[in-house]
This record gives sequence, C-alpha cells and structure tokens, in this order.
Amino acid sequence: MSQKFERVQAGEKVFDWLLLLLSIAVLIEAYRIDGIPGLNSPGSFPMGLAVIMLASSLVILASHRHKRRDPRIRNARHEFQVFFHEHFQPHIVVFTLFAVAYLAAIVWVSFYISTFFFLAVMFIYFRQGRVVSSLIIAAVAIAVIYGLFTLVFRVYLP
Amino acid sequence: MSDTFSYLLMAWLDPQLLLLTAVGTLAGIYVGAIPGLSVTMAASILISFTFSWDINNALALMVGIYVGGVYGGSRTAILLNIPGAPSAVTTAFDGYPLAQRGEAGRAIGLSTVMSVIGGLLGTLVLAGTAPYLADMALEFAPRDYFLIAVLGLLLVSTLSGKSLARGIFSVALGGIIGLVGMDMVTAQPRLTMGSMALMGGIHYVVVMIGLFGAAEAFYQLHNLNRVPVKQKVDKIIPPLKMVLKYLPLSVRTSIIGVVVGALPGTGGDIASLFAYDHAKRTVKNPSSPFGEGAYEGLVAPETANNAAVGGAYVPMLTLGMPGDAVTAVIIGALVIHGLNPGPMLMIETPHIFWFTVGNLALANLFLLLFGLTGIKVFSKVVEVPKALMIPLILVLCVVGTYSINSNMMEVYWMLGFGILGYWLKVFGFQMGPIILGVILGPLLDETYRQAMSSVGDDTGQFLLALVANPLSLVLTLVIVLVLLSQTPLKPWVKRRLSRQ
Repeated sequence: MSQKFERVQAGEKVFDWLLLLLSIAVLIEAYRIDGIPGLNSPGSFPMGLAVIMLASSLVILASHRHKRRDPRIRNARHEFQVFFHEHFQPHIVVFTLFAVAYLAAIVWVSFYISTFFFLAVMFIYFRQGRVVSSLIIAAVAIAVIYGLFTLVFRVYLP
Repeated sequence: MSDTFSYLLMAWLDPQLLLLTAVGTLAGIYVGAIPGLSVTMAASILISFTFSWDINNALALMVGIYVGGVYGGSRTAILLNIPGAPSAVTTAFDGYPLAQRGEAGRAIGLSTVMSVIGGLLGTLVLAGTAPYLADMALEFAPRDYFLIAVLGLLLVSTLSGKSLARGIFSVALGGIIGLVGMDMVTAQPRLTMGSMALMGGIHYVVVMIGLFGAAEAFYQLHNLNRVPVKQKVDKIIPPLKMVLKYLPLSVRTSIIGVVVGALPGTGGDIASLFAYDHAKRTVKNPSSPFGEGAYEGLVAPETANNAAVGGAYVPMLTLGMPGDAVTAVIIGALVIHGLNPGPMLMIETPHIFWFTVGNLALANLFLLLFGLTGIKVFSKVVEVPKALMIPLILVLCVVGTYSINSNMMEVYWMLGFGILGYWLKVFGFQMGPIILGVILGPLLDETYRQAMSSVGDDTGQFLLALVANPLSLVLTLVIVLVLLSQTPLKPWVKRRLSRQ
C-alpha cells in the first residue's frame, strides 16, 4: 500500500519547535497576569489564547509524523546546509544587516542622510554596480519622499 | 431620503473626492499588479499618512486602492503567470494559458468587465442588506458578538493556509499581540514582560506594516532576479456578445463572492477559489478545458473576488468585524478618525455608510475606465526591477510606522514583526489570520467578559444563554459544525453516505 507523504522544508521542524517554545513563554507570561485565572478576569483570555497556541504548536509538531524530508537531503547536517543556502543567501543577509544598521543610523545621522545612503548602497549592491544611475535614483527617491510626505501628506518624518 | 442621496453622491460631485477615488483606483491597479506590493500593505501604510486628513478623503483613497488592488492582481496573473494578489491566484489558472495563446488582451478586457460587474453587484448587496443587518445587530447581546468573532476566527483558521493547526496558531498569536498592554477594565498590565514601553500596547498598524510590508520585502528577496516573460497585448475591449454569454456565470459567482466575502475573516482569495470550483462543476462545455485557457475559469474568480469587496464591507460596517485583512485595516482607519464601526455607525454617522456605498460604485466605474486603457504604460510599470522596489518598500514602512506616533521604538517593532513575518511566511503561515487575530482578539476578550458579567460570572448561566437565545443557538451550532468539519468525522460521514 502506497502512502503519500507531505514534504517538509529544510529547517521546518526546528522552526516548529521554536514555535512551541514561544507558546510556552507566552503561557508563562499569561500565568504571571493573575496566576490560574478565574473565568472572568484579566488573565483568562490571554491564558486561553496561550493554551490554544501551545496546543496548536503541538499538533503542528505531531503532523511531522506524516511528513517526509526531501529525499535529496541526506542527513541533519546536509539539511542545515540546504536551509542555510536557501535562507541565508548573501543578498538576504546583506539586506537584513543594512536594514538594521539603517534603523540605528536614523537616530544618529538623520532620516534623509541615512535613507539616501541605505537606498544608494542597496541599489548599487542589488544591481551589481551601475553606481551613477543608482545614486541618481536614490536622490530622486529622497526628493519624492520629501515632497510627498512632508508637503502633501504633512506627516512627521524621523 | 434626500440626505441619503446626497451622501451617496458625495464622492461623485465633489471634485476632490472624485480625484482621490480616481487616483486611489489607478494606484490600486498598479499596487495589486506589481508582485511584492499588496493592497493590504498599501492600505496599512496609507492609514498612517492619512491620520490628519478629513475622513471622507482618507476613505475615498482607500476604497479606490481596495477596488483597484483586488482587480490589479489579475493583470500580472494573466500576463506573467505571477498573481499580483492572493485573490488572483485562480485567475492565473486559465488567464495565463489564454495569454500564451495570444489572447492576453481579450482576457484582460473580459476580466475587467467581469470585475466591474462583480464589484457593482457586491456594492448593491451592501446597500440593500447592511442597513437591515445593522438594525438586527442592535439587538445582539455581547455573547452574540463573541460568537460571531469566534466564528470569524475559526473560518480564517480553517479556510486559509496549508493546515488548520497553523491557521489556529496564527489567529491565537495575533490575539496575544492584540492583548499586550494594560487591561481596559482593571488597568492591570498584561503580557508586557515588565516593559514600560509595552504598557500602551502594540499599535495594530505597526503590526500590519511589519507583517504585510517589511515581511513581504524580505520575502521578495528570494525572487530578486526573476525576469517575467512578456506577452503581446491587443484587442482589449471584449465584444458585447462575449460579455452577454458569460453574464449568467458572472451573476452566480458574484453571489458566491458576496456571501463568502461577508463571512467575517474570509475574503477575495477564498471567494475566487469557491467561484472557480463552482464554474468547474457547473459549466459543462467550457470554451477550452479548465486550466488550459477556459474563459469561464477567468470570469468566475474575477467576478467573485471583486464582489467580495462589497461583501467584506457588510460585517465591517454593521458589526465592526473585518470581512478580510483590508477591511481590518479600514476599521483601524475609522477608529483613528474617532468613528465606531458597528451597528451604531449607521445611527450616529449614516453619511459614512452611504458615502462608502457611493464611493465603491464610483471606484468600479473608474476601474472600467482604467482597466480598458493604458495597457502599454502598465506593461512598463510592472517591470520595475525588484532591486529598486524592495529597499523603497522598507523605507516606506519606516516612514509609515514613524508617522503614527513619531516613535522610533515602534519602527524597531515594525522591523521585528517584518522578520517574524518573513519566517512565518517561509514555513507556510499566512499573515491575514494574524492581523485578524490582532483586531478581533481584544474584541473577543471584551465581549466575552461582558457576556460573563451579564450572567454574574456563572458558567452554567453563560452556557445556558448560548442555547436559550435563538441567534446564539444558531451561531453556536454553526461553530460546532465548522469544528466538526475539521475532524475525521467528515470523511467518515462521506464514506457512510457513499456506501449507502
């Protein structure tokens, strides 16, 4: 008898374990509101939702019994390599790091300067060169952001 | 009556509102069409920019974006086989084969006309049913609101995503995020981890921008260098004979779209799936086999997803419950402008309701205009490289988040939700249920506690009230049926019936 198995992505099981840990942390935090809560208390609903999170994350983990790893993945080490290759590609890592640095820089260097540098560097990196056009597009983008948000929408910028 | 008409025609007669609706619809078509941008993302970011605007101006722009965006997704589904929006996934099944056959123009023209028919029928249903439903809703007890919210969240969990458990987890996670902060009744801190910064809660717009904007930007990095295959487009306007041929199917699927759209928590994506399935089952002799370029397979989802827009407004305006993720965002916009979505909206501010109805009809007419013209410009715009788009989306998310409260901490939260959303998306979790959980979680908490207080915190009395009141009983039974449909009982009953 042949049985169809759903494929599990590289790293999916670890992620689902992390969700279980998150659910436990939420449950502990919900418990801290007022211990074992009464049915009509501030903690009752958070506790209920935390229990639902915990139960569903356990079901998600249990569902791995009906899933199989990609046959091309040989072992746990190979799975880690595949996961790393898929989700930690250089451009994803670079973009994430620059995004964090950009948010940190807004406070220190001002919004316009940090945004210009972020856009220019990302454009140049993603487009593999083309420095002049990238700088021009970044400058135009800054001008549009200023015109649109400061003059038209009248919102406060960082 | 004359007041109703003046509210209804407000957007049609005021040049500024007319312009904003037109701009919104046009922008919506492009936002919906460009893979990586979504209507929910645009609406979430727009909320923060339209804080200081007059409510009618803000709504006109959002209605336009919503109507245009739901349609716009079909353009790239037909031309590039890349659905611009989840509601256009089924459109690609037959739309792209039509484009490959050299009938892209005809497919776009027909989908435009059918989207407008669906959109107008949905608006008609909204105008006809919402006032009566709002009157009924005034009689609803807190436990009924509680049950409707539970039903909505249950439907979201069951109908979206690749598994029920993932759907339920997402909804519960959203609910937890929505409950962070001080309890509204006792002022007790909840889920704040002792942080003062979290006492005021996490603004739902921050969560929305993070999950729909930043997360999508990160996710699109996987397809950074994907180059779409271009199709030749000509003969856009469909012949009248063709429109009339598919009219009965479009009316049927409009009804499906409105009904599915009106269920709290569902939306155009689910409506289009149901409609496609209906077309497959009922059309005996399609123009081509389904999946190989059947016009019926294009008409059904396109009509249904636009009809679902009117449907999604029904629970939003009458019960204060979002029909889908975009209406969840629009609820946020109404609340920010000091309005109270729900049955009281019809009594306190009826002009908002009738203005929305008139505005939806107007946006659909603009959709017809913009949908059948400017295809050459459109083809150029959707080719904007992701290398430029992705960093710009992140900057927009930063600007949008900061403009809510001028608080950098919220910008960091937004990025955190963006990264969380990215990983959830990677492993098959959907963002819609999380957002609906964020919106409906506090509502559930409030109505549940009100319902319990009304029976003196007596669980027995609460359970008795669920079966003693006819409406509560119907809602409870529907919830039980939905739950049972997700258990092994359903296949067992099917097997028994087929044996008999």
